Amino acid sequence: MAETAESQMRDFLDDLTARLRSGDDMHPAPAPVEAGQDDVEELTEIIQALHSTLRPRAAPEDFAERLRADLLDGEPGVVQRLRQMPARVHIAAVLAVFAGCGLLMLRRVFGSGAAQDVPEEAVATPL
Amino acid sequence: MKNPFTKRIDYTALEDKELVALAKADKAAFGALYERYLGKIYSYVYNRTGNAHDAEDLTAKVFFRALAHIGNYVDRGLPFQAWLYRIAHNLVANWHRDQGRRKIIALDDYVGQASTSEAPDRLAEEREERNQLLEAARRLPEDRQQLLLLKFVEGMSNAEIGAIMGRTEGAVKSLYHRTLLALRDEMKAAWPGDGARRRGGEEG
Repeated sequence: MAETAESQMRDFLDDLTARLRSGDDMHPAPAPVEAGQDDVEELTEIIQALHSTLRPRAAPEDFAERLRADLLDGEPGVVQRLRQMPARVHIAAVLAVFAGCGLLMLRRVFGSGAAQDVPEEAVATPL
Repeated sequence: MKNPFTKRIDYTALEDKELVALAKADKAAFGALYERYLGKIYSYVYNRTGNAHDAEDLTAKVFFRALAHIGNYVDRGLPFQAWLYRIAHNLVANWHRDQGRRKIIALDDYVGQASTSEAPDRLAEEREERNQLLEAARRLPEDRQQLLLLKFVEGMSNAEIGAIMGRTEGAVKSLYHRTLLALRDEMKAAWPGDGARRRGGEEG
């Protein structure tokens, strides 16, 4: 029962708000039967106050024009340019990165062992 | 030199879906989306930050981010504006986290703006009432402030709000009911007896 009363109140407040916003506040929705008169009055007052207080805020014209120019006339950034490249260029770039990483790993495993094994005395300059 | 046989597209006549598809490769189409949503996004960000400077900065970031990611935009049945508002919401949330500021509904710009009465004493009373309401709204949790702005400032339906906030229509309606109750309780706690005084004044 309490749930029904709450649901009726919810619908009533929602309907009242929609009517206010659309300018049709001359024919208010009937208040829920089980709701207290004080509740209905107080919440209706709050909705009306919110409606008359919260208003849209327009963007300043100079800001709107400046931002439009920055967005649409500006040079695209590096990321944007990369995104716009064809798929085959993306694939080639990924393959090149993998090949580079593979080459570095191979050099580390097979190529640098000799250099690390050289004894200190062998490279020291004799006095 | 422009090709005289190229057909000019009237972007304003296109729906969001069509514009978004074009905007992936055509900046002019993105420009049409920008024109369509700049006012809404600015208004939303302004109300969430409380000052013009940060509102401009964050609005610019929203559209730059949208431009950078529109190529990856996938239509999942939600309106395009829901995507934009989510970008704005995330940026504003980061801004609040970075600044460690309270979420502010811009007070001074609203007070007295929508006054209907011209009598000085009535104007002062209306101004005071709006102050009280906005101060109570400032103390609400972030999601409730967002709901009030989307409903009253942006004029959105429950379905549109639900798409932006990731809730069902029923959940939005329920959150709105709880928000109104919380606002009433806040105002009663801050100014006890005020409602009775006003009603008494109207009757007497």
